[in-house]
Amino acid sequence: MRFDVVIIGGGPAGTGIGLELQRSGLDCLVVSEGLGLEESPRREFVEAGGTLLQGDTVLGGTISEGKVTGVATRNLKGTPIEASCYVLATGRFFSKGLISTMDGIFEPVFGCDVLYDRDSTNWTNPDFYAPQPFEDFGVVTDDQGRVSIGGRTISNLFAAGEVLAGKIGMQTGIERVVNAVLGRK
Amino acid sequence: MQDKNVSVNNFEQCLKCDICSSVCPMLAANPRYPGPKQAGPDGERYRLKDPAYYDLTLKFCLNCKRCEVACPSGVRIGDIIQTARLKYGRQNRPLRDFVLADTDLTGSLATPLAPVVNRALGCRPVKAVMDRLVGVDSRRTLPSYSGRKFVRWFRESAAHRQLGFRRFVSFFHGCYVNYNFPELGRDFVRIINACGFGVHLLEDERCCGVALISNGFGAQARHQAEINVRSIRKAVSAGEPVVGCSSTCIFTMRDEYDHLLGIDTSDVRDSILLASKWLYDKVESGSVKLVFKSDYHLKVAYHTACHMNKLGWSVYSILLLKMIPGLELIVPEQQCCGIAGTFGFKKENYGYSQEIGKSLFDTLEAISPDIVATDCETCKWQIEMSTDLKVMNPISILAEALDFEKTQKSNIR
Repeated sequence: MRFDVVIIGGGPAGTGIGLELQRSGLDCLVVSEGLGLEESPRREFVEAGGTLLQGDTVLGGTISEGKVTGVATRNLKGTPIEASCYVLATGRFFSKGLISTMDGIFEPVFGCDVLYDRDSTNWTNPDFYAPQPFEDFGVVTDDQGRVSIGGRTISNLFAAGEVLAGKIGMQTGIERVVNAVLGRK
Repeated sequence: MQDKNVSVNNFEQCLKCDICSSVCPMLAANPRYPGPKQAGPDGERYRLKDPAYYDLTLKFCLNCKRCEVACPSGVRIGDIIQTARLKYGRQNRPLRDFVLADTDLTGSLATPLAPVVNRALGCRPVKAVMDRLVGVDSRRTLPSYSGRKFVRWFRESAAHRQLGFRRFVSFFHGCYVNYNFPELGRDFVRIINACGFGVHLLEDERCCGVALISNGFGAQARHQAEINVRSIRKAVSAGEPVVGCSSTCIFTMRDEYDHLLGIDTSDVRDSILLASKWLYDKVESGSVKLVFKSDYHLKVAYHTACHMNKLGWSVYSILLLKMIPGLELIVPEQQCCGIAGTFGFKKENYGYSQEIGKSLFDTLEAISPDIVATDCETCKWQIEMSTDLKVMNPISILAEALDFEKTQKSNIR
């Protein structure tokens, strides 16, 4: 199964990027764990000709020479899914875009590099209403939104939305990836 | 996500977000139904303390699994509800439910008398009597029976033609193909043969049991499931995948046998496939080539059946249909047609069934296609009864569009 872009995550970032890219003439797949809450962009994405997998999970991807070459989902087992570009928009801890364990914090789909404090006693602020340090943990990206794995930039894997480290913001993150995928400055 | 939890049906992963209730077709039509969250994980907490908390309104669950597709936490809400019904439901079941649920028995009795049965089931006085005495709603168009079972046709007219092949698939024909619509089975055999594969039947095939499960006949369902799994295991160990045309049969054997009946199918699950998935994967990997007629034109609306949605496989049927040149395809957003197998046949449910389906009927009529395509036979009955549209399985559309001669030549090995 071949697409121009595979987007992992059906939340605001994933559906937003999918809709923009599909409307720009690219053939997109959005894989959404659960229904995804964004009803109207989701419908518009499908009406624009995009392919949406609901209630499915991307189990992992294959990486070769600094590029993602394919992903596999739970439901479409036995069918390789390939694309030119891939977007990680899996959200943060609640949606399991980031997993925290006693050993650290990791990104489960590709094992992307994650920025976080190695000392877990610094993850939270005891003042419940204060900004929480863990809110800034997430996947490290370059200025085009590309992720890295083991310090090496993956040229066709982008990240957007809540999974990002720091305070990049939803709209900025979406625009950055859309521009990079379309080759716009 | 389901793999990361240990509890049965991921029961305690429910966060009470209620997104399941927002997609439940029954809740929208019937205020007496507590909804998937209440009937499922919420109610389960009480039932675990005391079975007396079992609630008869759980019978309103259509087992469509839309709640499970919507759940972001992987809670198997539909499974929780159906398991509770099988475990605690001790209400007296009318004979009607058994007749509706035991499709092998009903089909075998009806087939030899098909012309008489079909006329009787279509005539008003009989329907009025069935409505009054049996509780099958008289407004419903009942499925007609074929005079000749699919398996009989296969043994008499097709089995000998399978001898020349070296690669095979096993066909799970299901009750619909066997008793109601053997044409679909014939289309399947023709396509598979043209692809260079022979077709075998399973050593012993019984109804998948979906209707027995939803009507609470757990023991009978388990008995049939065990026979099927034994036959499937035999086919798979001979290197043959088990392929069917009905999304519900395939879904039931892949997931419900394990989740609801407690039958371990892990060794064969990946080999139980829907025809459109098997075919798509073969074409994609280059091992099968399909050649289509150049003058075929059809406007098709694809309806994703609820169990097809749960399998996550509508993408296969859609991409397969898109391979046909001259076919215009429209895919509206997934909605439930309301029939839910035997549910919509029951007098007390007819109103809910039609109300649930209304939005889908309106959507399809507005598209006004030449044909509605769907992988589910009960959706077909419901849509054909409730609209003026004709419904076909994607496999039958493919059989219409294929150039069999050229396809066959392309797949000789």
